[in-house]
Amino acid sequence: MKLLKAIVRPNKVDEVKNALEKIQISGMTVTEVRGHGKQKGHTAIYRGQEYNVSLLPKMEIEVVLPDSIVDEAVKAIIAAARTGEIGDGRIFVIPVGESYKIRTGEKEVF
Amino acid sequence: MTEPQRSSVAPHPDRASVRARIDAARGELAAASERGEGGRQALRQYSHRMDALVQQLYAEAGPAAQPVAVFALGGYGRRALCLHSDVDLLVLFAGPIAAPDERFLHAFLNPMWDLGLTIGHHVREVSEGSRLAEDNAEFLLALTDARPIAGDATLLDHFMEATDPARSARRTLDALKTLIAERHARFNDTLYQLEPDLKEAPGGLRDLFGAQTIAKLTDPALLGQGGSGLRALDDAEEFLLRVRSSLHFEARRHHNLLSHELQERAAERLGYPGSTPRQRVERLMGDYFRHARAVDRSLRWALKAAPMPIRANLVQSPDGVKFVDVRQAAERPETWLSVFEAAVEGGCPVSDEALACVQQHAGRFTAENFFPTPAHRQALLAFLKPRPGLYARLSEMHDYGLLGQMFPEFKAITCRVVRDFYHKYTVDEHTLLTIRNLERLTDPQPERERFARLLSELESPELLVLALLFHDVGKWRDDDHHVESARMARQMFDRLRLDTRGREVVEFLVVHHLKMSVAAFRRDTEDPEIVRQFAELVGVEERLKMLCLMTLADVGAVSPETLTPWKEDLLWRLYVDTYNYLTLAYGDEVIDRTQAALSDMIAERPPDVAAGEIEEFLEGLPRRYLQLFSREAVYNHVRLSRGLGVDAIQAWIDRKDAGWELTVLTRDRAFLFSNISGVLSSFGMDILRGFAFTKPDGLVVDMFHFDDAERFLELNPGGGAQLIRVLQDVIGGRTEVAARLKGREEGAFRRRLTGFAPVIHCDNESSRRFTIVEIVAENAFGLLYRMSRAMSESGCEVDLVLIATEGQRAIDVFHLTREGAKLSPEHQAQLITNLQRALEGRP
Repeated sequence: MKLLKAIVRPNKVDEVKNALEKIQISGMTVTEVRGHGKQKGHTAIYRGQEYNVSLLPKMEIEVVLPDSIVDEAVKAIIAAARTGEIGDGRIFVIPVGESYKIRTGEKEVF
Repeated sequence: MTEPQRSSVAPHPDRASVRARIDAARGELAAASERGEGGRQALRQYSHRMDALVQQLYAEAGPAAQPVAVFALGGYGRRALCLHSDVDLLVLFAGPIAAPDERFLHAFLNPMWDLGLTIGHHVREVSEGSRLAEDNAEFLLALTDARPIAGDATLLDHFMEATDPARSARRTLDALKTLIAERHARFNDTLYQLEPDLKEAPGGLRDLFGAQTIAKLTDPALLGQGGSGLRALDDAEEFLLRVRSSLHFEARRHHNLLSHELQERAAERLGYPGSTPRQRVERLMGDYFRHARAVDRSLRWALKAAPMPIRANLVQSPDGVKFVDVRQAAERPETWLSVFEAAVEGGCPVSDEALACVQQHAGRFTAENFFPTPAHRQALLAFLKPRPGLYARLSEMHDYGLLGQMFPEFKAITCRVVRDFYHKYTVDEHTLLTIRNLERLTDPQPERERFARLLSELESPELLVLALLFHDVGKWRDDDHHVESARMARQMFDRLRLDTRGREVVEFLVVHHLKMSVAAFRRDTEDPEIVRQFAELVGVEERLKMLCLMTLADVGAVSPETLTPWKEDLLWRLYVDTYNYLTLAYGDEVIDRTQAALSDMIAERPPDVAAGEIEEFLEGLPRRYLQLFSREAVYNHVRLSRGLGVDAIQAWIDRKDAGWELTVLTRDRAFLFSNISGVLSSFGMDILRGFAFTKPDGLVVDMFHFDDAERFLELNPGGGAQLIRVLQDVIGGRTEVAARLKGREEGAFRRRLTGFAPVIHCDNESSRRFTIVEIVAENAFGLLYRMSRAMSESGCEVDLVLIATEGQRAIDVFHLTREGAKLSPEHQAQLITNLQRALEGRP
C-alpha cells in the first residue's frame, strides 16, 4: 500500500477528485495548506506598496492505495492538475506499513 | 414683542358680567378654602371657571388676524389654580406677530388685568419652537403642563414638532434637576422646617410636581414603581393643596409660608382635633412632615430611576430602550425602527415591554406603514449601517415578527431548511449571521484588518447589508435562488423607493453573490484571464469591495469551520489582483465601435443625438467611462462635446450626496489637470474622488467629487459660476493658479501634522500604453495639484487619473506618457524625485 500525497492548485481539486473517482478511487482526505516549492511565492503590489506572498494557498489530497493502482492514480492526478505553469504542485508516494480501524481497533498489515 | 400696555381699551359692555363671574368663582373657592376643603376638587372647579372666563375674553378680543391659541401653563395647566396664584398663559401665534396681533393681545390681556387677575403670560410664534431647547428653563417646565383653553389647539403640536423632543425633554429634565438642587439649597437641604414654605420647601408642592414632571417626561409608570407609591403621593397632594388654599384665604394674597401663626388657623380650618391650639398644630405639622417625607422619597426615587429621554416617545432605562407612551407607539408603526436604532446607538437592548408591543401589533400593519415618508426610508438605510449591535437588533426584529412585516420577502425564509453538505443553519439565521460577520469587521481581529479597511472605505455600506438581507430570500424555492432573490429584492426597491444607484448596487450584489467565491476558490486566479473576466463583472472598485465583503460574510455564515484563513487568503488575493486590474490596467481596455454595450445606448438615444456622434465620442475612451456615467450623462457629454474648440471649456457643478461634483469637458493641454485641481483647492475644496479621461483625439472628460467644508457654494448663490469663471481664466492662461493658492498652501503646510510616509510606485508592466504611477499619501490641502503639477513639470502627459480618498489617505493612480510613450527608468527616477519634493512642499 502507498500513501499518495498530492499538492495541487486549489482550483484543481474537483478535477483531481473526478479523475480519481473515474478509476474507482473515492476515499481521500483533502486539506487546505500553504507552501511554496519552486514557485517561491511572488511579490504583490497593493496601493503602491509591495509585499511578498511567500506561502501560497494549495490543496493537499491524500489517498492510500494498493501498489497495483498507484501508477494509474498518479497519472490521473497529473492529467487533472496540470496547467503547464510553475506552481502546478507535487505528488509524493510514501510506503504505508500498517493501518488501524479506529472503530474496531482492527489492525491491517500490508 | 412689546409688553401689552395696561391701558384704556374701552370697557366692554359685558365686562360687569365677567367681573361677576370671576367674583363668584373666587367666592366659591374662598368658601371651600375657609372650610378647609380647598383641595384638588375645589381647585379643579376654580380652574374650570377660569377657563370659561379666558374663553370669553378670547372671543371678545375679536377675530385675530391669524390663527392663534391660548394655553394654560403650570399649576393652572394642571387644573390646580389656587385662589391668589398667577394665571399662567401661553399665547401662541401661527406666524410672525404683527401690529394687528398686538392689538388682539391688548384686547385679550388688558381686561384680565382690569379684573385684578395676576397674569403670567408668554407670547410665542410657532416658528420659535425650533429654538425651544434653548428657551428658559422655567418656560420649558411650564410647557410640560400646557393645556389648550381657546383657539387652534394644533398650534402647540406644530410648535413642539419643530424641536427634537428628546433633546427638549433632556434639557427640561436637566433644568428641573438644577432648579430642585438650588431650591433645596435655599432650605439647607432639609424638609424639617418649623415654618415650611408649602410650595418651595423640600417635600413641598414644587417637589411633588417635579416628581410628576419627571415621570411624565420619561416613564408615566415611574412613580408607581418606587418611592412612596401613588397613593401616598395623592394623599400628600390633597393635603398640601388644602393647607395652601387655607393660607391664601387667610393671607388674602399669594402666600405659601406656613408660619406659626398661620399653622394655628390652618389646623383649625382643616378640623384637626385637640383641646388646645398647640395640640391641633402638632397634629397638623405631624401630617405635614409625613406627607413631605412621602413627596421627598418619591422625588428622590424619580431622580434616581428615571430613564433618559433619547428620542420622541423613547427613553433608555436600565432594562433597555422603551416607549414612554406605549399606546401611542402601538398606533405609530413608523416609529418602531427608532427603538432598535436607539438601542444600537446606545449599545443597549430593547426593553421587553417595547418588544412585546411590537410583537402584539406588528401583524396589523403592512410594509408601507413602516416607511411612509422619505425620512423614514432614509432612517431605515441609516439603521442598516454595519456596527456593533445591528445583528442582535435585527434578530430581535425577526423574532418578534417585525422584520417579516417590514420585508415580507424575508418571511418566506423564516426557519427555512435547505439541506446541503455545508450549511449548518436555517436560511434566515444564515442571512442574519452574514450581517453579524460584517458587523464584526467594525472591530476586527488583527487577521481581518485588511477586510475591515475595505468596509470602512465603502461609500454606502448600508446597501451591502440590504443586499445581504436579500441575497438568499429566493431560497424559499428550490431552483436558482439568486434569480428569485433578485426578483424579490426588486419588490423591496419599489416599496423603499430606492434610488437608481442603490437599486443597481443591491441587485448586482444579490445576483452575483456567489461569483467571487467561485472565482476565488474554484478557478485559477493566477490566470490573468480569470482576473480580467472577474474585473469586467464588477466594473469598479466600490462593487469589488462590496462583493469581496459579501463573500467573506456569506462564507463565514455557512458554519464556524467554513471560512478558513486559507480561504480568506484566496479571497484577498483575488481582490488585490482585481483591484490592480481595475486601477492599473483599465487604460488598455478602450471602447470600440463594435462593442455590444453601445447598441442599447444608440438604440435608446434621444432624438437630438445622432448614432454617429455617440460612437465618435466614445471611441477610444476607457470602458470604465461607461461604468461611471449614466446613459443620460453620456448623451449630455456628447451634446456638450459638439464642436468643442481648442480653447473651449464646458464645465458645471452639481450637488452630489453630501458633497459636490465638478465635471469638465475640454481639449487637452499642458498642466490641464493640475490647473483644475488647483482651482478647486484655491476655493478651499477638498477633492475626495474623481477621475480624468483623455481620448486619443485630445478630448478630456474630468470629474471631481469634492467637499466644500467652508460652505462657499452653499452660502454664495453665484459661487458655482464664480468658480467656473476662475477655472476658465486659469485654463485659458489669463490667471495664475499658483498665486491664488499661495496663502492657503503656506497655512496648510504650517498646520500639517506628520503622518505616514508617502508611497510612490512606478509601474511599466501593468499597462501596454502607459506608465502607471500610484501614490498613497496623507490627504493634504492641494495635494492633487502639487502632484499633477510635478508630473507636468517633469514633461509627462497626464492621460488618465483615478482619485480616491479613504480616511486620511489619498490613493491616486496616474496613467502617464512622455512624448507618447511610457517613461524610461531615468525619467521615472526623475519623476519620483520631483514628486517627493512636491509632497514635502519643497520648491
